[in-house]
Amino acid sequence: MSSVLRGIWDNTYGLLVDDGQLAVGAIVVLGITWVVASSSNQTLQDNAGWILLVLVLALVVVNLYRAGRSARRHVS
Amino acid sequence: MDLTTLAIAATPAFVASAVEFVEATTIVLAVGITRGWRAPLVGSVLAALTLAAIVAVFGVALVTVVPEHLLLEFVGTLLLLFGLRWLRKAVLRFAGIVALHDEDEIYRREVADLKAQGLKRTAWDWVGTIVAYKAVLLEGIEVAFIVIAFGAKGASAMSAAILGAVAAGVVVIALAAALRQPLTAVPENWMKFGVGAMLCSFGVFWFGEGVGAHWPGDAASIPIILAAFLAASWISARLLRSLVPEGVHVQARNV
Repeated sequence: MSSVLRGIWDNTYGLLVDDGQLAVGAIVVLGITWVVASSSNQTLQDNAGWILLVLVLALVVVNLYRAGRSARRHVS
Repeated sequence: MDLTTLAIAATPAFVASAVEFVEATTIVLAVGITRGWRAPLVGSVLAALTLAAIVAVFGVALVTVVPEHLLLEFVGTLLLLFGLRWLRKAVLRFAGIVALHDEDEIYRREVADLKAQGLKRTAWDWVGTIVAYKAVLLEGIEVAFIVIAFGAKGASAMSAAILGAVAAGVVVIALAAALRQPLTAVPENWMKFGVGAMLCSFGVFWFGEGVGAHWPGDAASIPIILAAFLAASWISARLLRSLVPEGVHVQARNV
């Protein structure tokens, strides 16, 4: 039974997470957006979506850059 | 069903499902050609029924039980996580860091494995049934997830998402049945790249809506968000090519 549950968990986790740091980064970014959207500042609240977009794009570029540096270590 | 719902729910569901169906079809073809068609077809139908049950249970539960703003935040989070995974892998493939998905090689490997297991003609081919069931279920889980995510906005969106996924299945199965070989001509990496960017865009848009952000023009913001993801991915791929010009084929999880 535990191996079946383990298999289900592994598949579900694998569906959403390929790189742990990217997933954790995404959750943190979503958390920041949620906090920004909950603030009393109406301008921040209205622009929470754009803030999320900028943070996610930065996360993607930084994560891929890190992956590139890691790949370069595999070559050398 | 209006055109906007069709475009928002059916199109990404169609493209994403087509990619997954191509991968599942490769395995089912390998089983059918090496061991006969009855067992893999039964396995595939059983997996399709399992997936339909998953969509029915989780889709209906999500739409009816969870309040709309929470649903948008939940679905937005899942779409973003799911999309980032696809987008990252596609960019790494374009940069030559992760090997391109090769349906032909997967097909040959699967055929060799299945032949090595042998075939008892007297009994029901459980190996063929289980291999096909597992392949269709595992690839189909991603289809089910996408259908639930894109259909979570209501009954009309759910119908559109199911329509998109079913249409993709029909097209891919018809092509595979006509060609009787893996669909290697399908530009899988480009499709995964496009779908990854689309999933991320919808994830950002819906999470933003869920937390009460204002998107100018509402859904008209989605193409702008999508363009931003495509631009960031292109910049990243160029960056990676300059970092590792000679390329290196490793697993996406290992970099």
